[in-house]
Amino acid sequence: MGEEEVKQEEKEEKAKPKEEFKLSFDYFNESRLGIFALIIGILVAIFPGLPAFIKGIGMMIVFVWGADSVRKTARYGLGTGVPSIGVLAMGFGIIGGITGIAVASLSFGTLVVGGVEIAFGVLAGVALLALLGFVSGNLANGDKFINMKIPGLERGMTELGMAGTLAVLIETSIITGTYAITSVLPNVINNGVIAVIFIISAFGMLQPLNTCLGADERRGRTLLMSIEIGGIASIILGLVTTLTLSAVQGVPLIVLGAVVWVVFYRAYMKACMKEAYAVKGTGLIKTLGG
Amino acid sequence: MIETLLLVLVCIIIGGLLSSLAVHLMPVGGAPAAMATATGIATGCVMLMTGAAVTGLFTASTVASFWVTKPNVILVALSGAVGSMLMMGFTMFVGNLIYIFGAGIVPCSGRVAVDPITKESQTEYKTPRTDGHGVPPASFVSGILGGFSGGFGGALIYVVLVSDSYAHFSVATAGIVAMGIFIANAIIAAYNIGGTIEGFHDPKFKARIRTGLTCSLIVSVLCGVIIVIAMLTGTLAGGVM
Repeated sequence: MGEEEVKQEEKEEKAKPKEEFKLSFDYFNESRLGIFALIIGILVAIFPGLPAFIKGIGMMIVFVWGADSVRKTARYGLGTGVPSIGVLAMGFGIIGGITGIAVASLSFGTLVVGGVEIAFGVLAGVALLALLGFVSGNLANGDKFINMKIPGLERGMTELGMAGTLAVLIETSIITGTYAITSVLPNVINNGVIAVIFIISAFGMLQPLNTCLGADERRGRTLLMSIEIGGIASIILGLVTTLTLSAVQGVPLIVLGAVVWVVFYRAYMKACMKEAYAVKGTGLIKTLGG
Repeated sequence: MIETLLLVLVCIIIGGLLSSLAVHLMPVGGAPAAMATATGIATGCVMLMTGAAVTGLFTASTVASFWVTKPNVILVALSGAVGSMLMMGFTMFVGNLIYIFGAGIVPCSGRVAVDPITKESQTEYKTPRTDGHGVPPASFVSGILGGFSGGFGGALIYVVLVSDSYAHFSVATAGIVAMGIFIANAIIAAYNIGGTIEGFHDPKFKARIRTGLTCSLIVSVLCGVIIVIAMLTGTLAGGVM
């Protein structure tokens, strides 16, 4: 079955013009992507009543933003490895997410307009973590403090604080469908799903650059991998959502995740093979033609 | 109420400062240590310290569950310190076994000529053009002290967040928040170190500890204020189990 699939894929590849498959991040340069992802992330985060797969798309966009910020700061060499900054983003994200959820659970934290819940309270967490990220970026880059001399580290850490918080908030709202603390505590925190959220979000942000870094690193290719990890995260969250909410919410998320994973894995592998000088397959991954 | 909030804030700041100090005390070798060309454990500050702190949190949460209400803060924090010390001790011991019997090198410091604890000369044992090997006695002691400091700090944050006399979060919330604050402090400290460090005898330690603690103080105050805001909402207290 595997070989047939490969042949079919090869045929499809030849039949399609290559331009059609090409995904470009040229329009979304670093600033545009940041603003776009922030707006989408906030919109998705403050409406906990949205269907899970729309929130899944919002989560992937936030992951791409986080990965772009990691790329921005870590390509100059941090001295402690790329993972440290992704884990830092999620350390911030957990603090901000829990604070945001606590504020949203207050009576004034969530407005109900015509039956639609609008959780403005979560924005408190995002704003506080933007401040914390900005301060720690200044500490790390300031002349009088650590003096890391990385251009744009202040901005990168601010963005990472916000992206980490938004990722935690959106994933929490995917699983519970609300920010009410009586529902969040048993379904997300006390059963340990928060640890899964921590690590998959950290991977969505740190893994792309950690894998692709080097002399020939290209932004478009690095960000493809971030979307792919977003797909894997959607599958995992879909399984959890099926258990906590219902299959109506969970199954579309799993399907979305699987489609995104397959499409972007293929796109990433194609980009890698096209941009490499030569590819020699080991036979372990069939698409390499080994 | 105000005293409780202030006490939680102060404990988070102390915990953050102790975790920052702990990272500066670790014998961290990074990638060069994987080839035995630098002193210390072959991983980054963050991975080493997170491993030790999470072990500390496990022992602390186990000990905290011995009390039905109002766990003893000092005892729980000390138990966290013991957990982290054990974790660091095992890591360094097994690392040394592999370095000595596997790679065939002599643990020695690359940054000082004489070991400050055993007073043995180090330079003869150092291979030329490397930065020391393995975990020498001074680094081992420094690592154990770091484990104590980090475990105590992490467990102190945990116990004030979980105790019903203070914040009264649920066990899992307190654990994950303590880890978040710990990681933020540990990574700022790791950036301060910038690569490798051998322990308290390393010249880098004296040169950079003040900056590290200042940064940690600022970050801990901010983290503490954010957690106090979360406490003030009152929604997290009572911890639905």
